[in-house]
Amino acid sequence: MNFLQKTILTAALLFAGTSAAFAQAYSGERKFDGVHKNEINGSLFFGENVVTGFYFGENAIYTHHFTPRWSISAGQQIQFLKQVYAIDVTGTYRIPILKKTNLYIDGRVMYSRYQRWKVNEPVVNLSAYLETTYFDLRWGWSFISYHKQDVKEEYKSYTSSSYTEPLVMTLQLGINIRPRNHPWNLGLFIRNFDQYYYENWNINWGLRFHCTLPLDMKLFSELNVRPAGSISQLATRYETSLKVGLKYVW
Amino acid sequence: MKKKLSLYILLAGLCTLASCQKLRDKISPQGILMAGTAVEERVEMSNLFYKDHMDDQVYLTVKGDYTFLVGADSHVTTDPGRMDEMLAIGLENDDLFYAHLGDIADTKPQYYITLDSLLKEAKLRYVEKYYHKKNEYEWVANTNEDENPLSSTYEEIPFPFFPVVGNHDITHNGWALWSNIFHSSFYEVDVINILDDEDFAVDHLIFLDSASGTLGQKQIELINQGVLDGKYGDGSTPYRYTFVFSHTNIFRPQFFEFASTFTREETYFLLDQFEKWNVNIAFCGHVHTWDERNFNGVHYLTLDSMCEKNNPNPGDYLVRINVGQDELSWEPVRMNYSIKKK
Repeated sequence: MNFLQKTILTAALLFAGTSAAFAQAYSGERKFDGVHKNEINGSLFFGENVVTGFYFGENAIYTHHFTPRWSISAGQQIQFLKQVYAIDVTGTYRIPILKKTNLYIDGRVMYSRYQRWKVNEPVVNLSAYLETTYFDLRWGWSFISYHKQDVKEEYKSYTSSSYTEPLVMTLQLGINIRPRNHPWNLGLFIRNFDQYYYENWNINWGLRFHCTLPLDMKLFSELNVRPAGSISQLATRYETSLKVGLKYVW
Repeated sequence: MKKKLSLYILLAGLCTLASCQKLRDKISPQGILMAGTAVEERVEMSNLFYKDHMDDQVYLTVKGDYTFLVGADSHVTTDPGRMDEMLAIGLENDDLFYAHLGDIADTKPQYYITLDSLLKEAKLRYVEKYYHKKNEYEWVANTNEDENPLSSTYEEIPFPFFPVVGNHDITHNGWALWSNIFHSSFYEVDVINILDDEDFAVDHLIFLDSASGTLGQKQIELINQGVLDGKYGDGSTPYRYTFVFSHTNIFRPQFFEFASTFTREETYFLLDQFEKWNVNIAFCGHVHTWDERNFNGVHYLTLDSMCEKNNPNPGDYLVRINVGQDELSWEPVRMNYSIKKK
């Protein structure tokens, strides 16, 4: 990695100011394998949401490893019927702690468009992700703001159409039944975010799975139960979704 | 050995937590992942009740400017002092109605018995002030100037206390207790404001069931069907003012306060829906901190808790809304009851 690359990546992280908890549905080995510098991670999903009903969508993420420590990812997601569209850029720095334990610092900027309600939502997130043989933990903070787009002319003189939430904590806990680098694995997770949204106090939970396929490919899947009202102690069915995807490296 | 010891310590900790009665009264750990009281059933029941009792309480009538009183998160347990004070303040000031933003009592049968008694006493004081006896069983409103005024039995006189349900009201499957007193958690009320002999205006009150942090599929379907869009007359009379009452807050007052438990899509749905309803003021509770802001033409007031345990010192925990033909304003209302005075 030359000086220019390092500068750009560092600037991206600093620009992020905070960065995003990167909710990769693929839950296996994340670090650079030493050979393949490029990754693409694509998935299809469908689910049902209380507000918008049935929806389906796709997302794709490209990752480039500059060095065994530095990488950058860019992704997009489209949720059809729900009419939510999102893009993001994430910069990552890996700090090896023990032989099989890594700490990742993820800096992320994300933009989501909630077309149905004409709301733009930029998010900046900074998080630390610790992965051990069986457990993983993510902790960080987000700046979330939203901006209503179709404000009536008569409101503009006295009302606000934007809101920035105070810092929002990001948290994820995961556990796998096999070591992280095993050819297949099954795990449980809880977290207050998903790939393209960060919740305040609603705790998602679910099952995750991945296995190795021929031709440098991995198959992964995730069942995500997203309740509302978790911290009100009345967690209520809000959204359930299933995601299936492939990861390819070259 | 170390692993076993850690496991024993963890188990001992969980057992201690589980055995702590005070914590169990307040907290439902399993409710963090999946709750036992479902919003869908509450809304279904509320909607059925509302349809069957549409003539009971859907209209309030008042001449000239009027006021109403709003409070939040009274968390009545053994000491209903603040709740009693709110009811007395409203009666003394001739407020047209009371609105309560939920978490009216913590979930225990004895707390609801206390609350029920309190409301019955308040209704008696209300009827004695605003009605007079026609005969042994019937009462007539003091404002009724007809020669042969309509009379009502005591039971038929509605007490204008409109609550929404809060999460602590029903944490331990307490919907049965709450609904036994208040019946419906999802409803609307029209206020017919007589301006002069020929003219009147209609104001719209919308009460949402947001205790679960989501309105739920049924409530959203009903809203999308226009159930709360107002039904006054043939629908040709536009509402003058619209007020929404919700337990769960939308905006987070400060960094160290709990945020809203609405999900992202639902937050945007509600902000959009409030604008469609032309809401003037949306009242929220839940977070126990005061917050005021204007977003997209809607004024949002998030009320502090009026509970003496949360706020032991006297303070401005209530809000009074002054509704005039040309002006809508609000003012804080002080509560003086304090545990320290007991």
